[in-house]
Amino acid sequence: MRAQFRSRIRIVLALVVCAALFIFMRLYFVQIVYGEEYAQKADRQFASGGSGLFDRGSIYFTRKDGTTISAATLSSGFLVAINPQTITDPEAAYAAITAVASSSLSYSAFLAAAAKKTQVYIEVAHHLSEENGKKLAAQAIRGIQVLRERWRDYPGATLAAHSIGIVSYGSGHTLAGQTGLEATYDDLLSRSGDALYKNFFAELFSNVGNLLVSAKDAREGDIVTTIEPEVQTRLENDIANVSQRYASQESGGIIMDPRTGAIIALAMYPTYDANNRQNVNPSLLGNPLAEHVHEFGSIMKPLTMAAGLDAEVITPQTTYNDTGCITVNTKQVCNWDLKARGFIPMKQVIVQSLNLGAAWVAAELGQEKFRGYFTTLFGQKTGIDLPNEGRALLNNLSHSQQINYTTAAYGQGIAMTPLQMIRALSTLANGGIMVQPHLVSTIRLNSGIERKLDWSKTIPVFGAKAVRDTAEMMTAVVDEKLESGKAKIPTMSVAAKTGTAQLTNGQGGYYSDRFFHSFIGFFPSYNPQFIILLYTNDPRNVTYASDTLGSTFLDLTHFLIDYYAVPPDRGFATTTPS
Amino acid sequence: MTSLCVTLVAVLTVAYVGLIAVAMSYAALTVEFSQSVRNDEAAVAVLERQYFVTMTHITKTDYAAAGYTTPSVKVFVPAKSVTALR
Repeated sequence: MRAQFRSRIRIVLALVVCAALFIFMRLYFVQIVYGEEYAQKADRQFASGGSGLFDRGSIYFTRKDGTTISAATLSSGFLVAINPQTITDPEAAYAAITAVASSSLSYSAFLAAAAKKTQVYIEVAHHLSEENGKKLAAQAIRGIQVLRERWRDYPGATLAAHSIGIVSYGSGHTLAGQTGLEATYDDLLSRSGDALYKNFFAELFSNVGNLLVSAKDAREGDIVTTIEPEVQTRLENDIANVSQRYASQESGGIIMDPRTGAIIALAMYPTYDANNRQNVNPSLLGNPLAEHVHEFGSIMKPLTMAAGLDAEVITPQTTYNDTGCITVNTKQVCNWDLKARGFIPMKQVIVQSLNLGAAWVAAELGQEKFRGYFTTLFGQKTGIDLPNEGRALLNNLSHSQQINYTTAAYGQGIAMTPLQMIRALSTLANGGIMVQPHLVSTIRLNSGIERKLDWSKTIPVFGAKAVRDTAEMMTAVVDEKLESGKAKIPTMSVAAKTGTAQLTNGQGGYYSDRFFHSFIGFFPSYNPQFIILLYTNDPRNVTYASDTLGSTFLDLTHFLIDYYAVPPDRGFATTTPS
Repeated sequence: MTSLCVTLVAVLTVAYVGLIAVAMSYAALTVEFSQSVRNDEAAVAVLERQYFVTMTHITKTDYAAAGYTTPSVKVFVPAKSVTALR
């Protein structure tokens, strides 16, 4: 009896072991040998044919209170595909699809697709909402497949489109970042295909270490930008208004923290809707603020002045004899109004924007020192985290003709990107050092680790005394000159400078009636939190930058003071006529 | 001795089958959670889009056209004001 029981137990045990072995073998084949195939099969129950569901890390804006909000994320919904071999009533199918599809679907194109009887899968509509997709699927129309899909979504649409960039197929077969931060941080944002299906069982066999500490989780993640969405919206709106009002070719603006190089807003007009790029001119997809170079005109003068002060060839009290026009290397150089001022101090060079004053400072500096300062300021790329950054054109400074230094002193004959320009001018706002402009402050890895990026590398250029004296001169521009002194803010010192450069005609000369307008400003003047660079290219029926960009700069300044509650830094009269 | 071995094998087998069940449940839950996270992200994106649209609308509002007038006098908060330093 006992032996009989024991043998029965053994039989049962053998059966259990066999069952376990069978399950073990089955699992081995299902998860390891055919694991990928089954994963794709599962995907295709909801995903489009040919690939798994699209997956990618997010890009975030940072609001002033430190909270984040998506600049680029993923949306999910459904696509509709037809099987021409099984579709029985194309007209009814078309009616059912167009009833729920948001995109316009051509009737003739649909019928043409349905007539391709050699094919079994043709996608006819994308980006259906959850509700509409499920509604269509519930109708169970023969020959229509409703499949889950995910796509890149930019909730802000046009907001910071040039900085955020786009994802597209490019020249390859996989979606990848092509421009902007999408391209720069593509390795971090991209996801490998099996992210959705963590094959626990297979990893038990293949890589226990990977199961505990995933290498992918340590290299894939999201990025957090320094862009503040409300400031970005304001800047974009103001820039668009300027461009439209003066029919400019293009306009741009950058708002940066001069102490850290963190870019708070970076706007360009014309722009594009990142969610709808069907009719977008490809030339708009880059970032002109990082890629295109311009001759900026008189906003260069404060840098010339700071160089002269730093080299101690001048002091703020130094005077020069302004004759209105001079001849350098047989070329005539004049003030903007052709008028002579006689003996005047350095401050007036900035306040009245005198070309001859800047030329005189450059001459006092000498070619070698001038070249040294300007090569330090513009000789290198800024290193911003955007692709295809342009280089400054400083060829004129490699020649010995003085006219090249004369014109460079007031911003003509040398060209740089707007980002290089704001970085150089930020030296006047932060004690004389060049910071590294950047758009991304933090990386959030999937492993949960949050890593702050190190942008602390600085390049010393000017001494603190030189930049303070220059900032004082620029503050006088707002207090005394801009809008005839009405722009002065009694409780806030604001430093600024306008720039109006003639546009090159492409034949070695300049147009006499076409201009590039620029505007630089920072506040509070002696401990700035914000530096603003604005420009508009080829505005019509207007000559001076103070007319095109002055009010825009003031609007942004007042907005930033209110929005960030910047405390007053001086206490003049508290009431002023509007 | 034999019974001990048999018991051990039985326990190990049951434990193994249990582990398989746990692994399968874990895999299923992972897939489910991943999808649910993505769905929630998509829902948040819809709300974020509404936020951006509202923000743009406020920024673009022409207050003069809406009937507001420019103030005749601007009063600035003095530097030493308690309010300003708060």
